[in-house]
Amino acid sequence: MKKTFVTMLLGLGLSLALAAGGCGGEKKDDAAAVKPGGDIRIGGIIDLSGPTSSVGVPYAEGVKAGAAYINANGGIGGAKIVLDVQDDAYNVQQGLSIYKKFAQEKVAAIQGYGTAVTEALTRMAAKDEIPYFSASYSAHLTDPKTAPYNFFTSADYSTQVRAGLKHFKANWKEARAPKLAFLYPDHPYGLAPIPAAKEYAAELGFEIVGEAAVDLKAIDATTQLLPLKDKKPDFIWIGGTTPSTAVILKDAKKIGLKATFLTNIWGSDENLIKMAGDACEGAYSLQAAAVYGQDVPGMKALMETAKNQPQMTHYVRGFVSMLVMGEGLRQAAAKGPLTGKSIKAALEGMTDFDPMGLAPKVSFLPADHRPSMAVFLYKISGGKLAFVAQESLERKAEWLGK
Amino acid sequence: MQGNCGLFFESYRAEAGLFNTGFQRWSLGLFVALLLLCPLVLDTYLLSVLNLMCIAVIGAVSLNLLTGICGQISLGHGAFIGVGAYAAAQATLNGVPFLAALLLGGGASALVGMFFGVPSLRLKGIYLAIATLAAQLILEYVFLHWETATGGSRGLMLEPPKILGFSFEGERRMFYLLFAVAACTLAVVANVMRTRHGRAFVSIRDFYLSAEIAGVNLFAYKLVAFGLSSFLAGVAGGLWAHYTLFLSGEQFGIGLSITYLAMIVIGGLGSIVGSVMGAVFMTLLPEVLTAATRSLTGVFPDISSQLAALREGVFGLTLMLFLIFEPEGLANRWRLVKSYWKLYPFAH
Repeated sequence: MKKTFVTMLLGLGLSLALAAGGCGGEKKDDAAAVKPGGDIRIGGIIDLSGPTSSVGVPYAEGVKAGAAYINANGGIGGAKIVLDVQDDAYNVQQGLSIYKKFAQEKVAAIQGYGTAVTEALTRMAAKDEIPYFSASYSAHLTDPKTAPYNFFTSADYSTQVRAGLKHFKANWKEARAPKLAFLYPDHPYGLAPIPAAKEYAAELGFEIVGEAAVDLKAIDATTQLLPLKDKKPDFIWIGGTTPSTAVILKDAKKIGLKATFLTNIWGSDENLIKMAGDACEGAYSLQAAAVYGQDVPGMKALMETAKNQPQMTHYVRGFVSMLVMGEGLRQAAAKGPLTGKSIKAALEGMTDFDPMGLAPKVSFLPADHRPSMAVFLYKISGGKLAFVAQESLERKAEWLGK
Repeated sequence: MQGNCGLFFESYRAEAGLFNTGFQRWSLGLFVALLLLCPLVLDTYLLSVLNLMCIAVIGAVSLNLLTGICGQISLGHGAFIGVGAYAAAQATLNGVPFLAALLLGGGASALVGMFFGVPSLRLKGIYLAIATLAAQLILEYVFLHWETATGGSRGLMLEPPKILGFSFEGERRMFYLLFAVAACTLAVVANVMRTRHGRAFVSIRDFYLSAEIAGVNLFAYKLVAFGLSSFLAGVAGGLWAHYTLFLSGEQFGIGLSITYLAMIVIGGLGSIVGSVMGAVFMTLLPEVLTAATRSLTGVFPDISSQLAALREGVFGLTLMLFLIFEPEGLANRWRLVKSYWKLYPFAH
């Protein structure tokens, strides 16, 4: 018994040694991601099921429409984009294995989606040199020092809330300081812009009168709103998603809390109006893309691609994300073979690329991946998202990644 | 032993042996050798699936030790994995060598696990489930708000593990590391089962009163079970942290705890082979479903968005069918298959 055990151990050790000898680590493959003249494969890691799928599905459809539009208009120097969208179900492990599959198949770039999966893949995308576009607009993804291959096409969450505050302050007529309160979920996505918002609000002269956590799955927010009512805030920031925003707006109306609400990019869309009814009337929201049917140059092309079926603003944003990626691919392809590195370089040389007016102009710099410092403000009036203004901020170096 | 028909034992010691026959020993050896050769043939995607399996095996076997063997249900296993992940990450970020950091992560997780295991003396069954659920929620809150340790909503970035200057970068190298730790974990748990301590765990699971009358210190053994299980969970967490190279609190939610519970239920409660099978099954299932939708995309374009919603249903359905038709888990099915072939073709 003892003898066989020893032989077994020896055998195990031997095979381990053999294997370790043969294990030189993966070879770095510098070959172009795309063969000249071949199709350009783009991977998609988007939530088509799971908790955020109500916005993930229209976003994915928009990305697909963007690829179809590019292909219908000459492709990338004649080559077609082949987009393969897979569902990560808001699960890091699933996102990881889908990513590995794409990395193995050497996709040229990836259209990603949510915060958890995007952040978990940041290091890997950098190692594998795969440009990764996301719909997670966390500010720290804009700092190439920590996320060199991450890109997105909307102003980051912190820039968005700053722009909203700037707009309110500029239109503030009274002599006293405006009062501001924050409602956000206790969740990485909700917490991300809060330090930036507080700092900038103080700088602009807002008086911060309160803050409270409202869960993303909240069905009641009166407990959080009642104490706020006594403090009479003029403005309330809502940093959630549409279901929790609808709950807050309805409860605010119920208890008679009168304030101007400002919701972030995922907290307000066409569905909010259905969910909150007239309670959302007058609420402002920050958006990074036009709404369907808005009078901008690119809307006709988008409507044609969407076969004149009304789409949500997330769809438009997915469309824009693909347009920007397509422009990066086009510029990289014009200069030489398409590799992760060359696509990154092309994107980082992009200055004021106009996605046909569907979103603010996009620029990336090698040391600054903030796509834009401009944000669209919308107000819900008459049951529709109505464009109010485009608010722009200065590209301050100290705001990068914060 | 050769020439005997069937198995018979002359001592308890022999009966408790890990391997009863030479055939078992050699087939396991062959299996391990084959696994070790896998990285030379498999592509990086398949290797990444194998790597995820190795981590899942460690997590599942540690939960099985607590739930399947000692009978103490835990809904906080995902969070215990998270504690180990953050502790190991902080250790390597502060210059502690990787292996020591891994043990530190396990140690931190063991302490936290034992702390939250204290109620297990008074609480049983569904009540303990709720108490451990509270542990899960409290720890999730800590992950998000203790910014100096966990990076809060920004998360933590890590470097690939290094042992004595050798960097385990890339799937292939990582596989050997993960495989070695998984094998060690299995060996430890299998051997714990053979000791009087392992038998004490089982006796607590089977009936706590008899166990106490037989002289088992319930409180001590329940705490040890929580501690050992969380230690191994912490090791799994440390490996996960250094495999994905990025940590955020969202990775260790209640969903992870439930996935691990599903693994051991599917694999077979109280069985080590079952834990492995459950971990492999639960890691493979989403991959198989993804592969299926992808291959269908060729025939019906655009099907992936339609099937995505269905996929969760298929996932749930598979679990349900398993509970109905394989209530004792994959381990039991494996036993039946083995005994069928043992006597083939003269079953009697």
